[in-house]
Amino acid sequence: MKRLSIFLIVIMLITGMTLGGVAEEKKVVTYWHTMGDAEEEALIKVIEMFEDQYPNIKIKPTRMAYDDFKPALLIGIAGGVVPDTARLDIIWVPEFAEIGALVALDEEMEGFDEIIANTYPGPTSTNFWKGHYYGLPQDTNTQVLVWNKQMFEEAGLSGPPETIDEFVKYAAVLSNPDEEIYGYTMGGTYFWAPASIFYAMGGEVTDSEITTATGYINGEKSVAAYQVLVDMYRDESLSPLLLGGGGIGAFEGLATGKYAMIIEGPWAHPILKSDYPEFEVNFALVPRGPDVTTSSVVGGQNVVIFEGSQHKDEAMLWAKFLLSEEAQLTIGETGAIPTLSTVQGNERLPEYYDVFMEQLKTAKARVPHPKWAEMDNAINNAYQYMLRDEKTVQQALDDAAEEINRLIIEE
Amino acid sequence: MEVKNKILDKSFLKKILSSKGAYLLLLPGMGLFFTFILFPLIYSLRMSFYKWNIVDIGASKFIGFSNYVRVINDPIFIRATLNTIVYTLITVPGQILFALVVAILLNQKIKGRTFFRVAYYIPVITSWVVVTFLFEYFFGSQAGLVNFILKDILHLVDKKIMWLTDPILVMIPLNLLGIWKGVGWSAIILLAALQNIPLDLYEAATIDGAGIWHKITKITLPLIRPTLVFLVVVLVIGGFNVYVSGLLMTKGGNPLDLSHFILTLMYKKTFTNLDFGYGSAISYLLAAFIFMVSVIEIKLLRRKVEY
Amino acid sequence: MLTTKEERIFRNISYILLICGVVITLVPFIYMISASFKSQIYTFEYPPRLIPRDPTLENYIKALGKDLFGRNLLNSFFVATATTISTVFISSLMAYAFSRMQFPGKEVFFYILLLGMMIPPVMLIIPQFIIAKNLHLLDSLWGLIVVYVSVTLSMQTFLLRSFFETIPRELEEAVLVDGGTRWDIFRKIILPLSKPGLAVVAIFTFLYAWDEFPWAHVAIREGSRRTLPVAIALFQSQYLTQWGLLFAATTVASIPAVIVFVIFQRYFIQGVVTSGLK
Repeated sequence: MKRLSIFLIVIMLITGMTLGGVAEEKKVVTYWHTMGDAEEEALIKVIEMFEDQYPNIKIKPTRMAYDDFKPALLIGIAGGVVPDTARLDIIWVPEFAEIGALVALDEEMEGFDEIIANTYPGPTSTNFWKGHYYGLPQDTNTQVLVWNKQMFEEAGLSGPPETIDEFVKYAAVLSNPDEEIYGYTMGGTYFWAPASIFYAMGGEVTDSEITTATGYINGEKSVAAYQVLVDMYRDESLSPLLLGGGGIGAFEGLATGKYAMIIEGPWAHPILKSDYPEFEVNFALVPRGPDVTTSSVVGGQNVVIFEGSQHKDEAMLWAKFLLSEEAQLTIGETGAIPTLSTVQGNERLPEYYDVFMEQLKTAKARVPHPKWAEMDNAINNAYQYMLRDEKTVQQALDDAAEEINRLIIEE
Repeated sequence: MEVKNKILDKSFLKKILSSKGAYLLLLPGMGLFFTFILFPLIYSLRMSFYKWNIVDIGASKFIGFSNYVRVINDPIFIRATLNTIVYTLITVPGQILFALVVAILLNQKIKGRTFFRVAYYIPVITSWVVVTFLFEYFFGSQAGLVNFILKDILHLVDKKIMWLTDPILVMIPLNLLGIWKGVGWSAIILLAALQNIPLDLYEAATIDGAGIWHKITKITLPLIRPTLVFLVVVLVIGGFNVYVSGLLMTKGGNPLDLSHFILTLMYKKTFTNLDFGYGSAISYLLAAFIFMVSVIEIKLLRRKVEY
Repeated sequence: MLTTKEERIFRNISYILLICGVVITLVPFIYMISASFKSQIYTFEYPPRLIPRDPTLENYIKALGKDLFGRNLLNSFFVATATTISTVFISSLMAYAFSRMQFPGKEVFFYILLLGMMIPPVMLIIPQFIIAKNLHLLDSLWGLIVVYVSVTLSMQTFLLRSFFETIPRELEEAVLVDGGTRWDIFRKIILPLSKPGLAVVAIFTFLYAWDEFPWAHVAIREGSRRTLPVAIALFQSQYLTQWGLLFAATTVASIPAVIVFVIFQRYFIQGVVTSGLK
């Protein structure tokens, strides 16, 4: 009896020790994001795939509230508690790079060049600041015209407008301000909202080297673009929603026959489908300006690695994995357009992506500069002044140019 | 128990030692307070004198009062201060006035007293985030209830008012919200104060032939004076600290940074423009201002400071 | 106060006025509850309807069904309760010291504490975060509790102190004469008589901890440890605010707060009455 128990104890000890030995510590990589429900589900699948491939690494995702994401990141940085990786709005990358919070991936990441050889140049360029790349383009998007076919048919219009002139005409026909029905609506006056039309008409904010805004934001084409919008507003074919004020949202209005056209990104599809299943979603390219083919604005998110991370190597493996075909396709199915050119046209991706991919060929990125937030504010204010009739379009944009120049110099 | 007047014979050290009981009681609370309030306060002060770098704190540049000078000269700050002062001047008397009325009404033997108390208190219980959303929903230009009532029911206006997009009009829902949310709180406090007034005073006045107005002004108000003073001080502090409602409803001073409150401006400068030292300077100016105002109020409104 | 006839008229007018007031006070909530039973398409219907056309429970099902909602609710409950108990305890110790004892630096400490009531909490968030991190209080519900208690201590101590001031000292002296210790005083006189005052502190503290958002969002990132206000904020995504879900979740979140108030309000009113707040 005694010998048996000693034997058992020894066995248990040995097993315990081996098990203890085998169970190594897993490295944990944190990943912050602001994904919506559908994307989040896809993310879980991608994480599973990653953890299968790298059993010693565990990915911990945290979903943050969008409105408070930037402050949360900043407070984290201030406190030295940063996530290892995060999915940032492309616009924030230069800002965070400038304060030294991000790792320069072109220097630190193995195989970086091979990866970006396969990603679209536009989105990739949003990671570039002062000679280095500070992130990888995770997903991209642009905005296209979304139009309410029923309202068009009722107004006797056969299809979506293809030029800006048609756009203005159609909007007028489709509007009925007394009933609060508008041909076109915009979500606000921040630059992203008019950006598509702005670029479609050949507008520019600054020169490509970002040295000055004079002659660009207040140049002929930019002024013409804003003039079109202001005129539409005065004609009451552009809804006053853009001034803010809690009016009916763009999606609600489109689906319920209050707005005939909106310009939105690929997320429009899942949102409209889930909240307004009866509505037929129709996309079209942004109407083209006088001597442009068509254009729009580039949006999207980049995955970055923070300087304070304790697990940079593992974080890089995760970031690279997010750029793998499988990951791009899985998340891509849910409304986030992949940045990997090799998956374009893949049948797993929703059909409606085609129009966005087409638009992406000519879409332009906004100014990649750490002070972009303030520049946006300057242009936003200009737009407000124009709409409120406190300045002419030219005046307002001249003032914005001055403000932007000041911000560029402050660097 | 009164040890105070024996200063000359007892040495200071002895006094401290004999007070160790008191210090023990204070220890946990003061410990927490020093760690999480006082120390951060000083840290924040320090931040305001630098061009603060959050990634590499050591690389922060000392710029003395430069942030403060910039703040005071900033027209946006001046406008924000104006908005905040106006807000306080409207919401504080507003709350106290309505609360007084409610308290006087509730101070009778009426049925359903508990129901009324709870009902009036519900806005107080609800979070600022939620009630701001509610008011936004109400004052929304296209489908809001307020416009519906003004236009289609009362026919006072023929076009819907864009409450939330006008820098001055947006102050109306914000101020109304401030009053609406606070009335219950003050009402309960005033109700308590009213209940402390002996009824015979009123009876005596009735016998002397006094009317309601006379009773209210000569008996009620003077006797609840300390409570009123307390309310004024606390509500003014709250008024200057207006924050969440402004942040959500104006979304950063919309439009044109004209509808900021001091704290929403501080938030924007800190988290949107990443100017941490500047944001710190703004909040310090505010804190200093509140402190001064509170001290003045207390000295002016109270005949003796009672501790 | 008035003659019987005057009294009756005044009372009737009072009823009318009070009811009008209640309507104005509660209309936003009734509206919110009504909206929570409408599906997305009707959220912005015009003219606005009070009674939903096609009432539906889908918002509630979706909101409450969200993974961690129940968990977040429990977290909030835990944090709010723990914060309340700790605050009541610590602030009563401090209030007693300020009210009944003399010691060097009493005034100084008190004024410093008062300072805490005047400061906008948002301005301290960055340094608080750094300190919390160094003390390993981040990403933990206990960390939340510690910070919440610290922030609300000033106000609660002030309230309790003014409340203690109204308890007659003779009662305490009687205990001392009978040979009791300070601890006996605390147990037998102060605590029982303070029930109302403590109730006031309890309610204020519970509500504060229950609704707090900015700190909770930054300090806790682990989904399963989040509190309710943060969970509700997630109904606002980058492109869309799901009002129906938001209102449904908020309605549910408000219920415990209302219940706590209804339970305590009895003591609460009494408490404010006796405290005199001088």
